[in-house]
Amino acid sequence: MIRARTLTDARQQSHSNSELNWWIFMRISGLILVFLILGHIYMTFIQVSESDATFDAVVNKLANPAWKFYDWLILALSLMHGANGARYSIEDYVRSRPNRAWVKGVFFTVIALLLVFGTVGLFSI
Amino acid sequence: MYRGREGQWAFLLHRLSGLAILFYLMLHVFSIGSFIFGERFYMAIHETYDLWPFRVGLLFVTAGVVYHAFNGLRIIVMDFTGFGVAYQRQMWYGVLLISVLAFVGAAWTLYPRLVGGY
Repeated sequence: MIRARTLTDARQQSHSNSELNWWIFMRISGLILVFLILGHIYMTFIQVSESDATFDAVVNKLANPAWKFYDWLILALSLMHGANGARYSIEDYVRSRPNRAWVKGVFFTVIALLLVFGTVGLFSI
Repeated sequence: MYRGREGQWAFLLHRLSGLAILFYLMLHVFSIGSFIFGERFYMAIHETYDLWPFRVGLLFVTAGVVYHAFNGLRIIVMDFTGFGVAYQRQMWYGVLLISVLAFVGAAWTLYPRLVGGY
């Protein structure tokens, strides 16, 4: 995990390229997700009520490829952003090495299954 | 955990809101994605969301996402600009204000649905 204030600091602190790439990924995906998620909350929670989100409404909306792409972008970016963020917390608070290994193993498996499940769901319509 | 006045609480709230949103996201992907198991399975989960704790809970999810989003922007400003760190405290109070406004605004707009049900 990188604790840095600037890109230069982050580059110096990172022991591996992947850690630096995740640091950059968090910022770029976060910036994109601000628009995607706030738009999503406005359109599907503030603007319409829960009773409108019926089975038929979901199927109809996802018939449009633009919404499919929008939702898939949210799915992929937010799961990766969330998984990496939770990894920072796990590495900070789960101190013992064996515990950390299985906690991460179970957690990443669940995230991967959700990503596959959501992708299959989106593109099966 | 480091002790650094507002920065410490900004960090803690960012983590807590992030983990809470991730937990919500995982449930959300499963419950919305469950439409591939057919209409009955989907609607069985969906009708549970009409219970009032879920209706009120969505307000907290909204406020949590708004906090996490704007505090994330504050972090990006701190990381990539020269003036960001100097104004991080003021920006954090701005983030808090925006989050409270989002909560109150959403509650105000959705009040009929919150008390009357969907």
